Amino acid sequence: MIKFEEFVLKNGLKVIVHEDSTTTMAAVNILYKVGSRDEDVKQTGFAHLFEHFMFEGSINIPEFDTPLQNAGGENNAFTSNDITNYYDILPANNLETAFWLESDRMLSLAFEEESLATQKNVVMEEFKEHYINQPYGDVWHKMCALAYKVHPYQWPVIGLNLQHIEQVKMQSAKDFYFKYYRPNNAILVIGGNVKTAQVQKLAEKWFGEIPAGEKIIRNLPIEPAQNEQRILEVKADVPVNAVYKAYKMGARTDADFHASDLLRDILSTGDSSRLYQQLVKEKKLFSSISAYSTETIDDGLLMIEGRLSEGVSMEVAEKAIEESVSEMVNVKVSDEELIKVKNKIEAYVTFGEVNVLNRVMNLAYFEMLGNAGDVNNEVEKYAAVTSAQLQQAAAKIFRKENSNTIRYFSNN
Amino acid sequence: MNRAFAPEINLIDSLTLPEVKKLTLDNSVPVYLLNEGEQEVVKVELMFKAGKWFEEENLVADLTSRMLREGTKTQTAKQLADTFDYYGANFNNAAGYETAGASLYSLTKHIDKLLPLFFEIFTESIFPEHELATIITNRKQRLSVDLTKNDFLANRHFVNALYGQKHPYGRVTQVEDFEKFSVEDLKAFFKKYYNASNLTIIVSGKFDDSLVKKLNETFGSKNYTGDKASETISHPVESSSELVHHTEKADSVQSAIMIGNISINKTHPDFLKLTVLNTVFGGYFGSRLMSNIREEKGYTYGIHSSFASYPHGGFIEISSEVGKDVRDATMKEIQREINLLRTELIGDEELQVVKNYMSGKILRSIDGPMKFSETLKGLLIYKQELSHIQEILNTIREVSSEELMTLANKYFDYDKMYKITVG
Repeated sequence: MIKFEEFVLKNGLKVIVHEDSTTTMAAVNILYKVGSRDEDVKQTGFAHLFEHFMFEGSINIPEFDTPLQNAGGENNAFTSNDITNYYDILPANNLETAFWLESDRMLSLAFEEESLATQKNVVMEEFKEHYINQPYGDVWHKMCALAYKVHPYQWPVIGLNLQHIEQVKMQSAKDFYFKYYRPNNAILVIGGNVKTAQVQKLAEKWFGEIPAGEKIIRNLPIEPAQNEQRILEVKADVPVNAVYKAYKMGARTDADFHASDLLRDILSTGDSSRLYQQLVKEKKLFSSISAYSTETIDDGLLMIEGRLSEGVSMEVAEKAIEESVSEMVNVKVSDEELIKVKNKIEAYVTFGEVNVLNRVMNLAYFEMLGNAGDVNNEVEKYAAVTSAQLQQAAAKIFRKENSNTIRYFSNN
Repeated sequence: MNRAFAPEINLIDSLTLPEVKKLTLDNSVPVYLLNEGEQEVVKVELMFKAGKWFEEENLVADLTSRMLREGTKTQTAKQLADTFDYYGANFNNAAGYETAGASLYSLTKHIDKLLPLFFEIFTESIFPEHELATIITNRKQRLSVDLTKNDFLANRHFVNALYGQKHPYGRVTQVEDFEKFSVEDLKAFFKKYYNASNLTIIVSGKFDDSLVKKLNETFGSKNYTGDKASETISHPVESSSELVHHTEKADSVQSAIMIGNISINKTHPDFLKLTVLNTVFGGYFGSRLMSNIREEKGYTYGIHSSFASYPHGGFIEISSEVGKDVRDATMKEIQREINLLRTELIGDEELQVVKNYMSGKILRSIDGPMKFSETLKGLLIYKQELSHIQEILNTIREVSSEELMTLANKYFDYDKMYKITVG
């Protein structure tokens, strides 16, 4: 149970406070409701590049990191399809330093050409390191394009290609910033050894005067229902054949999300999970296999990926995955297995709450989804799922015509 | 309000350490208890002196540890997995250089049901051959994938150049190594090293005395006695005479770089001060290497330097992946930064930031039961007392630029470093 209080500043900034006197630290999290889905198809990778740019000096402070480190703190950020999230952790008695820094980069940036040029290079090297110079590094690009035809999830957060990043101009950065990095599009969560009254004062002092931006109206294209099985074959210089199967699933906020997520747990969480036991241990068709879901605001993917054991044909491997998922549709999950995955969730959520930074991140995330308080209802929502609901969710997701498959062949 | 001025900063000069209770089980196994935190969770961490240092053939320590999940006298691998998963628990284990560790993460309410099984794993494992065969096949395949990665290749070449194939810190795995031992070797290693004399336990989280009682009923047992691991084992260091090595890969868009040499470890009186110097150089986001090579030049997504410390040695490693066309330029900048450390005093402001940052890091390292147990484990490996944490903080606060320049001249010499590049 994460306790919190909340208030809204006049400029629309939502503030949430989570007091925890057992820690000496304070955690500060700012979530901006903007991600790669808000990008122009001709300028992909922009939201993530912009996240880098946020560290390159704000209107009154030449650089973000040094003053925070000087206060004994550490910080980082990440960009996803839907959000850009910044966080700082520092000794609680230096909390105001984080307010000073975070509010200044919400007020305005330095917008220096030179630092934009450098961050473009840094991000291009990040692109090369993770998506080009890696075995199977391009698979996510290919899968996004296969699974999404009109929705901006068709490109990955890093962007479609290096050129898009190289071509970014300062004016786009300014337009993007003044549209999305406004208090009314952000959620500020403070947790740790802090008091609500103290945070209220600091929030008013540092963020209160920042002007609101225009209300953001999204007109994102809706991905039409998929009605045909999609298959892409790739050949590359990798040592081992691999297969990737992405099934369309609903959005993070859909009523059947928890059932769908439990399907993923049954398939692949822990050594006792079905895919590992059936396909790695018993049939020895794969050397490794896992499943995960994208958990996006708009309709997402449930992805299964595996590396084939030597001598196993693609056809046999794929058929085995299909059999495992069909079993979820055709056979009722036993009570014991259902209790198992629910217990797994309970432990996962409870361990996730040990760390104060995780707690504030979760509060911000659930507030973004609609209501911070929902963070405390998750375990119950999973616990309420019945085996019949699991079967319904499986029947909806695990259909051939709802699947996107990449057969990744080794050149060897 | 003037936004150009930073709010005042409070320095960290004293620490309030969480309470650690030490006790011994009936069979003399030492146990450290960190009872704190609000969440009803517990981690039981075992440290056996059963790491790579003690193996006679490559992979034996590693696969002995790995095989512990694969079946006991009364439980198959599947049954073990089912039970741990049923209670929502997680159990990780791996062999390091010195110790082979295992951590059991569980909700506090289920731990009493899991401890007997956890104990059985470390005393009654049977090493089924068919499970070993599957694991070896899959590990070989993983190795074949790893061998296509530049950073993996550079790191292998680097540690091997420093220590050679006969030393655990330098030994690299070849595919044929998987054929050089038998399941009997694993069983023998298990019997010899996984015993009560080689075990230390740390329990952290929120729990009560019933857990301690259960721990004593299981790991306090007198039926897994044995000899202490020898303190006198040593391995020859056979450093390569080739300081510079490049592996060209035509299709790479980046090169992986590893630079460094054998150095001191945590037991050396210079070590703490040296970590301050290393933090300035390449040990945090604001370091000189990051500021210069990432933030000014944009050559890389990241560049880091660290002093790897193990009980029997240590080394400095500088690592990065950079655009292929700027590989040489990056190496020159690394050399230039090293020379700067040796010839110019670190400015007061820069040093102050590093000191404050490192102090904050210490504060974080003792915050909460899980973090603190990691820190405690680090101390125990070097037989250091808890009070050492305060000593670290004091050393960081007191070290001067002059001392750091002396250390730079003693421990940073680009000409003597190995320079391994791939890509």
